[in-house]
Amino acid sequence: MKRRSFIKNTSLATGMALVPNFLKAFDDLVPNLNTHRNLVVIHLKGGNDGLNTIIPVNNDIYYNARPKIAIKQKDTIRLNDELGFNKNLLPLKKLYDQGYLSIINNVGYPNPSRSHFVSSDIWQTASDHSNILDSGWIGRYLDKYGKKPYNAIQIDDDLDLALRGERRNGIATRNAKQLYRSLQESDFNTILSYHDPSHHHEHNLGYLYQTMIDAKSSAKYLYETALDSNLSDSYPKTSSLSNQLKVVGQFIKSGLDTNIYYTSLDGFDTHANQIGRQNKLLKNYAEAVGAFVKDLRKNNKFRNTLILTFSEFGRRVKQNYSNGTDHGAANNVFVIGENLNKSGLYNSLASLNDLDNNGDLKYEIDFRTVYATVLSKWLNADDRIVLNQDFEKLNFI
Amino acid sequence: MTYKEVQHLYWRAGFGLKPKELQYLASFSKEALVNDLFQKSKDIVPLQKDLSYLKAFPQERLKNEAQFRQELARRNRQETKILNTIWFKRLEKTPRVLRERMTLFWANHFVCRDMATNYILKYNTTLRTHALGNFRDFVKAISKEASMIKYLNLSQNRKNSPNENFARELLELFTLGEGNYLEKDIKECARAFTGYHFKFNGDFRLIKNRHDNGIKQFFGKEGNFDGDDIIDIILEQKQCAQYICEKIYSYFVNSNINKEHVAEMVHVFYGEYNIEKLMRYVFNSDWFYNKENIGTKIKSPIDLIVGIQRMIPVYFTKNEELFRLQTLLDQFLLNPPNVAGWKGGKSWITTNSLMLRIKLPSMILEKESYSYQYRGNRKNLRIVSVKNKYQEKLTVYVDWKAYKKSVKKVSLDMLKDTLILCEVNRGTANYIKRFGRRPSRKNLVNLMSLPEYQMC
Repeated sequence: MKRRSFIKNTSLATGMALVPNFLKAFDDLVPNLNTHRNLVVIHLKGGNDGLNTIIPVNNDIYYNARPKIAIKQKDTIRLNDELGFNKNLLPLKKLYDQGYLSIINNVGYPNPSRSHFVSSDIWQTASDHSNILDSGWIGRYLDKYGKKPYNAIQIDDDLDLALRGERRNGIATRNAKQLYRSLQESDFNTILSYHDPSHHHEHNLGYLYQTMIDAKSSAKYLYETALDSNLSDSYPKTSSLSNQLKVVGQFIKSGLDTNIYYTSLDGFDTHANQIGRQNKLLKNYAEAVGAFVKDLRKNNKFRNTLILTFSEFGRRVKQNYSNGTDHGAANNVFVIGENLNKSGLYNSLASLNDLDNNGDLKYEIDFRTVYATVLSKWLNADDRIVLNQDFEKLNFI
Repeated sequence: MTYKEVQHLYWRAGFGLKPKELQYLASFSKEALVNDLFQKSKDIVPLQKDLSYLKAFPQERLKNEAQFRQELARRNRQETKILNTIWFKRLEKTPRVLRERMTLFWANHFVCRDMATNYILKYNTTLRTHALGNFRDFVKAISKEASMIKYLNLSQNRKNSPNENFARELLELFTLGEGNYLEKDIKECARAFTGYHFKFNGDFRLIKNRHDNGIKQFFGKEGNFDGDDIIDIILEQKQCAQYICEKIYSYFVNSNINKEHVAEMVHVFYGEYNIEKLMRYVFNSDWFYNKENIGTKIKSPIDLIVGIQRMIPVYFTKNEELFRLQTLLDQFLLNPPNVAGWKGGKSWITTNSLMLRIKLPSMILEKESYSYQYRGNRKNLRIVSVKNKYQEKLTVYVDWKAYKKSVKKVSLDMLKDTLILCEVNRGTANYIKRFGRRPSRKNLVNLMSLPEYQMC
């Protein structure tokens, strides 16, 4: 017996017949595969040093500011006369050559925060620095367009602010089975099997029971819909991001009714001895993304997928005394997909002659214009409702 | 007093009671119980944290060496985490529950975050010192705390180049509430707080040549106001008492504000700004014990963990696990999300956090866990109990002896009344009926795993 039909049979046999109708009323909504689009977000946590990622290879200011940690020309892969990839990004360079990568430089926001904590919140909530919102931008997308928690999935144990809305939240899971098993191992299912839904409670307890019902249906949906056969073994085993993207690949190939996937790679806070650490992380990142794109393309899913990579801030132009860099401001953002309007370099790197008072890159493009573009042009959503403001749309897609 | 009423009082003013404590206290009058709560919380006992490591970080060297400052920052991050566990232990053990509860409340009102362990400890002590004192003194003390001066950029607030961050939050979050002042008030307010700074040891210091001694106009008054004058003028606004009373009502009574009840509170609070008097009024009022206020609040993660620990002693042997739990449940003590603090209520609940909350009692209390599953082929299904392989375990020590003692001669019904304050779902009530009559370990875990246990 196939696993899926086994589950269906056993769940009927294990007393699903006793479970109230509204639980059974839940059915596997199969999304329209032709129009269904996925957005995959990758957060490089800690503040990735964008200048050692995409390197200004002919810029004396850069080399003078970083006598110990500048990336030498021979360690880069040339993009054009001015810029080169860190050589650890070879898989990314290949995407670039195929026209699948758009590099947006100098992305940030006014009055930048240099706290990880505050700046991550600003990026995740799409807020002004002066007024940081309580809800995440993906959460607010769910408020407006979501029906089930699994419409947005974070591949993790807990849910970042980005996926928490005013009324709806996304769901976090490391794999297709984690939630389901977790429910088996507590009194969760037993409680729900006795629970009487006709008993109306004051709103808070009612909300808890409703969330339990949603959790159960989401766990079941993921367990049954995401097929193990869609887990590719062609991903490198070197990083947690690689594992996360492998699961995203499985979910996308299984046709989950999910529009947004959220992943992250931590460790970019390179205050000391930056070179070795950052290079390793960039390699992990690029290899994971390379494998992911390959997996999707092989299964004809790449055209439905857009990958957005950001970090909460860039780093100071001038290196510090411990051969690292301190927290900076504007940074580059990568957009990867098959249907880019403007691939390659979206704009040129800001001048290293004209830094802000802290010695950081000035922002040119508000990160929320990137969100607005993705929301309206890729997810066909009304970005003004999600972002509470009308931001300019860019033309990278 | 009914058990429910006593437990309600003790959940809102403290962290709940054990069954026998509940039985004992229920024989007293409301006034006597409220009196007793205040009496027990009279003393102010700061958290005890060893700060001797700071001796290795002299001021002069910190001033000159960036790398040395980074080293201190790293050390402070560790030490502040230790302070987190010390506060946790206090929450679990203290007999001064009301002061502890008030301290938690004010920590989420005068929200502040600072990785400098000595400053944030001092800040915490100020919170507990004024927690039941005078609100006027409280606001003034807060404005002079090193951690606050850092957190809301008061040290960057200078004559001719004001930084409005503190001024804005003082009006918006600490005293009046949004929309009850003009942008001009913020500007004038910021001028009055120019020159605020702190010494190396964390004591307040006013840098005179950074202070703006000009005339300020604030809420219709004019004068060379300093920070304390501004706070006095703010407190003259009845809106200040209104705002604070609404916030207290929302936290201690019900997030659905009853305007009449709040009006009574404002009447008690305005003018004198005596916090103890206000809280006595709330806990002694009849409406505090109205049905709609009992068991209708979603426990914060801290409430949930401390509530379990106060029912049965649990020792976390690995600090990392306690940190991980706080992270997963979204409330890390000393690490609030932003200056507005934790939103509370439904915002505690996501699919993931609720699954963890339901599972938490068995993670803490059960060494092994089993679930019933169906095995065999379609025609021949049978129920078997299967040891859970994936169950996350916490390396905690659970003092079952103490629990056993605390439930000696206690019925399951009594245990249920102790643990669950809200109305139980009809179906769930049938489930509880199957538990039998003994307050066994398993039944304790089962009761604590109910969504009803998430309410207080």
